[in-house]
Amino acid sequence: MLRVHGILGRADDPEVHAALHRLEHRDGIEYLFVPAHEAGRKRFRLTTDRGTDCAVSIDRDQALFDGAVLAMDDSRAIVARFGEQAVWRLIPRDTEAALQLGWHAGNLHWRGRFDGEVLEVLLDGDVDTYRARIANLIDQGLVRDA
Amino acid sequence: MTVQETISGTVPAARFGIGGPVGSGKTALVERLIPALTARGVDLAVITNDLVTIEDAERLRRSGLIDPDRVSAVEAGACPHTIIREDPTLNIEAADALERRFPGVELILLESGGDNLASTFSLDLTDFWIFVIDVSGGDDIPRKRGPGVLKSDVLVINKTDLAPHVGVDLARMEAEARAVRGGRPVLMTDCRHGEGIDALVELIETQVLFRK
Ligand SMILES: Nc1nc2c(ncn2[C@@H]2O[C@H](COP(=O)(O)OP(=O)(O)O)[C@@H](O)[C@H]2O)c(=O)[nH]1
Ligand SMILES: [Mg+2]
Repeated sequence: MLRVHGILGRADDPEVHAALHRLEHRDGIEYLFVPAHEAGRKRFRLTTDRGTDCAVSIDRDQALFDGAVLAMDDSRAIVARFGEQAVWRLIPRDTEAALQLGWHAGNLHWRGRFDGEVLEVLLDGDVDTYRARIANLIDQGLVRDA
Repeated sequence: MTVQETISGTVPAARFGIGGPVGSGKTALVERLIPALTARGVDLAVITNDLVTIEDAERLRRSGLIDPDRVSAVEAGACPHTIIREDPTLNIEAADALERRFPGVELILLESGGDNLASTFSLDLTDFWIFVIDVSGGDDIPRKRGPGVLKSDVLVINKTDLAPHVGVDLARMEAEARAVRGGRPVLMTDCRHGEGIDALVELIETQVLFRK
């Protein structure tokens, strides 16, 4: 187990990037793929793409990000990589539909954000389980995929 | 080969959430976990959430299992899930206060007020959370796929001792729970007799405390 605490830097920071580039030549970069819905964790145990068992914690006021460098020395660096966040984009037909969709999404505690007239639902699982929750709105033509 | 083994400064305490319906045995589980973890040298504190009382906290303070000062109570005053998910500020403040008062505390157990099968914890509040259901609630509970059952890091099925009395097929209940959770951990416990607690403690030691 490799125990790491805190974030050392960002992979795209010029200085860090240069160091990573040197390690790259030695095949010294390991990626820790963090599933998007787990990205909010401040403490987790996960194995890198090269099989290193990592026990990671960060401070409560820190947030993990894509490209966070968690460990680095002369021979190896460990970089967090986020899986792509799956998003379901929905367009309501009119104001009435928008009210209904908003009401349901709130009651269902969906994580969401707005993009103009589109509601973007940040998926933590299979889209079909989400779709089933508002099937009546979709069937009535009140809401459709954007 | 190690990249970084020494950690400078203090590492924040791990925060461990315990959710589940009213009466499933959350407090009973805490009463089992405290001595088991203490015996392994884990420096502990506890937060309980009740609706409008501090009943569970009082029960733990009186239990003699833990220094009463290490038990904090937060009253939800509303649906219990509001203070573990929508706005966990009160609980975060309670946990921060325990960490300030007891430097070196490694693990904070947070028992949510009993809620429905939809309750989940915010990752801003807890690092790892379990959902406790019980056998007497019926063996169809896992099949109903509530978010608590599906998304928790560990699903605990408690009161296994009651299975023969309530006509529950324990093996089937466990198999269905495993099936809906796609292979993520399911543990069977009997808090009345202390069965199954070691497996949960083992999981806490590896996945939460990083002791092995
Ligand atoms: N038979 C049996 N009773 C239990 C078990 N765990 C808890 N109980 C009882 O169930 C009731 C509710 O337990 P409690 O821990 O207060 O539930 P909570 O509301 O989830 O905190 C109490 O009367 C406990 O003694 C168990 O494993 N077996
Ligand atoms: Mg309780």
